Amino acid sequence: MLNSIILSYTTFVYFAAFMFYLLAMVMNREILARIGTVASLIGLLAQTVAIILRWVESYTLGVGHAPFSNLYESLVFFAWTIMLLYMIVEWRTKNRTFGTFVTPLAFLAMAYASFSPNISSQIQPLIPALKSNWLISHVITCFFGYAAFALSFGFSLMYLLKRLDNQKRNNIFLQLIPGRSILDDLNYQMIVVGFLMLTLGIITGSVWAHSAWGTYWSWDPKETWSLITWLIYASVIHSRMVRGWKGKRIAILSIIGFACVLFTYFGVNYLAGLHSYAS
Amino acid sequence: MAFYETITVMTKSKSKNQSNIIWGFFSTVKLTIVLLIILAIVSILGTLVPQEQGAAEFARRLNPAMLQIFTSLDLFDMYHSIWFRVLIGCLAMNLIICSMDKFPATWKRFIARPEPDRTKPFDNLPPEQSFLVQGTPEETANKVNKLFQSRYKKIREKEVGANRFFYGEKGSYSLFGVYFVHLSVLLILVGSLAGSFFGFDAYVNILEGEQIDTVMLRKAMNPLNLEFTVRCDKFTVDFYENGAPKEYRSDLSFLVKGKEVAKKSLLVNHPVEFMGITFYQASYGSAPGKTVRLKISRNTAEPTVTDMRVEAGKSTALPGGEGKFKVIDVREDIMKMGQAVLISVQPDQGKPVDFWVFKQGKMALKMLPEPMLKSPKFNPSAFNPYTFFLDGLETKFYTGLQVNRDPGVSIVWIGCFLMIAGLFVTFFLSHNRIWVHLLKTDQGMKISAAGTANRNPVGLERELEHLTRDLKGLFGKKG
Ligand code: HEM
Repeated sequence: MLNSIILSYTTFVYFAAFMFYLLAMVMNREILARIGTVASLIGLLAQTVAIILRWVESYTLGVGHAPFSNLYESLVFFAWTIMLLYMIVEWRTKNRTFGTFVTPLAFLAMAYASFSPNISSQIQPLIPALKSNWLISHVITCFFGYAAFALSFGFSLMYLLKRLDNQKRNNIFLQLIPGRSILDDLNYQMIVVGFLMLTLGIITGSVWAHSAWGTYWSWDPKETWSLITWLIYASVIHSRMVRGWKGKRIAILSIIGFACVLFTYFGVNYLAGLHSYAS
Repeated sequence: MAFYETITVMTKSKSKNQSNIIWGFFSTVKLTIVLLIILAIVSILGTLVPQEQGAAEFARRLNPAMLQIFTSLDLFDMYHSIWFRVLIGCLAMNLIICSMDKFPATWKRFIARPEPDRTKPFDNLPPEQSFLVQGTPEETANKVNKLFQSRYKKIREKEVGANRFFYGEKGSYSLFGVYFVHLSVLLILVGSLAGSFFGFDAYVNILEGEQIDTVMLRKAMNPLNLEFTVRCDKFTVDFYENGAPKEYRSDLSFLVKGKEVAKKSLLVNHPVEFMGITFYQASYGSAPGKTVRLKISRNTAEPTVTDMRVEAGKSTALPGGEGKFKVIDVREDIMKMGQAVLISVQPDQGKPVDFWVFKQGKMALKMLPEPMLKSPKFNPSAFNPYTFFLDGLETKFYTGLQVNRDPGVSIVWIGCFLMIAGLFVTFFLSHNRIWVHLLKTDQGMKISAAGTANRNPVGLERELEHLTRDLKGLFGKKG
């Protein structure tokens, strides 16, 4: 199908974007980073088209539904939200070094979706329980949350690397990373956006579960892990807002938080549960 | 210059002069962070140890000593255990006491009207936030006052010699955002408690065409009487081409005291409510119905064969009129030999004769052990001159319903809404305090603008930029 062909090309485009961003920093050539931006934009555009095509194709197959219903589709959407948020950050900050740390995440998500033998790119019909507008809003909000946390993870890595930067070392790559206070601010902004989205995601998920199964919270492993992630980020926000923690500690906590996000998304598949991606 | 005020400086006071140890313990945000992390770790444990239904299998693999430890700590149902509830209770106490502790300071800040002639905000003011205009001090002050009136609240004005000061503020309501977030957490906890005390969680299967007035409670495994009757008029299931189910639908009627009050269609994701009780389409299945199709041959000189549809449990006359018979047991599958019914013939005179009739009679003959074959219990011709054949059972769908009452759920939704609104206010709005200073100089009136914010310094800078641009606009200068 056309959409999965475009999507597998997008994977390579994101890889190329990553390479350009990386080389730009290693060789200190701004022009390469600009090419990276162009590649990212092309990739994002192609991916947007492919997602819409997939939506349309599902209707021509007679099983019409929004393309967020299995692991393949969710990974594609995850990569899309990361790239979209990243493009906004790049545009707002006018700084392209973030690309080196963020585009590989989108590339990895796409590569996993396109090349893992366990993941089918077929459009599958929806079982009745998954036919719900609440479920669509659940997926969209959750993945914007995950993407914001992914960016925050990238900024945290950059922060920790930037700490290694000093005059003596004179390393171009490290010097090109923006200053620590900028990274710390951006990191916190992403955590805040991610937390709001995750909260919305958990709530819309509960509303959906309530209409489908009659219970808004059943402690199934995926639910519980999203709550764990929420608790971790809530404590990050309190440490920062009330206790004034900054910098390194927040960066480390954010990395732990993102590990929880990944476990909520993938790790839970090894624990049994209700969620459809788990099977 | 925008400087960043931390509220914590102003809010330290209360907990210091509170000598109460409990208050002190519960009013720190350190405890909050510790509790949030403990809850996270405990929840991780809960996803590693199988809970409730899954627990039996896991428990079998533990040695007795471990099993003892696990059960005494309620690890197989930890989210409902006492200690988990104590943790949640501590969090709630923390939330309430901390908010009560901080509220007076927030309130003070909310109603405070700082002096218009504060100079500290103007320390290190960048030059682009000052500019010169032509005009008398009165004129200038009037124009600035007008702009302030349209834009800010709690405006104050003061004249000191050649200086004129204005104070105004914006977004003071955002100070309460965090209280709404915390209140929302409490509401969600209260709502879930209300649900577990005053609600129930049950299920019921209803055969198509039949009705029920009791449901089975999941936790207690007790039947619960409803105050009404539910009848399933029709159950339908649609499939996709690949055989996966597409839609389940139950057409239900609700009867009160035998009178039909409502008819509703129930679909997955579209629950229906009746008298405060909500029904969800949870599952479906097929079960042998009560209608049995029989072929009865009468082996006399003029043999006859009669097809009959009979209801289980109802007496029916034999085709030849020698008596009555009824189906007293119906099995979907008996001893892996398929469908079978137990028939009891009551002749006009004599004792009743009971025997099983199999749908696959020939197969049953091969599979039954020798002594059983001899027994009249397995002989479909046990009542002379008749032989019974089973054509089939009319199977029926049953619909599996989840039946709930949860009076707490609306409180939970209110909490969720409040949480989102509160988070939005807390994260994206801030309390901006703005000062403007007019100074008469030889070159004209010098206007400077400065401010403070409790958070979001970038937003404050933008606010000051807009203010300066509009002030310049007032005096015909290009921003
Ligand atoms: C889950 C249970 C929660 C508890 C027990 C809790 C507890 C607390 C406590 C004790 C404080 C007071 C800190 C102080 O002023 O010294 C506080 C402040 C704060 N909390 Fe929470 N909180 C919870 C959830 C949240 C959530 C979900 C958020 C959302 C991000 C949040 C946001 C804040 C903020 C922003 C402050 C600072 C208030 C200020 O600026 O005055 N809290 N919290």
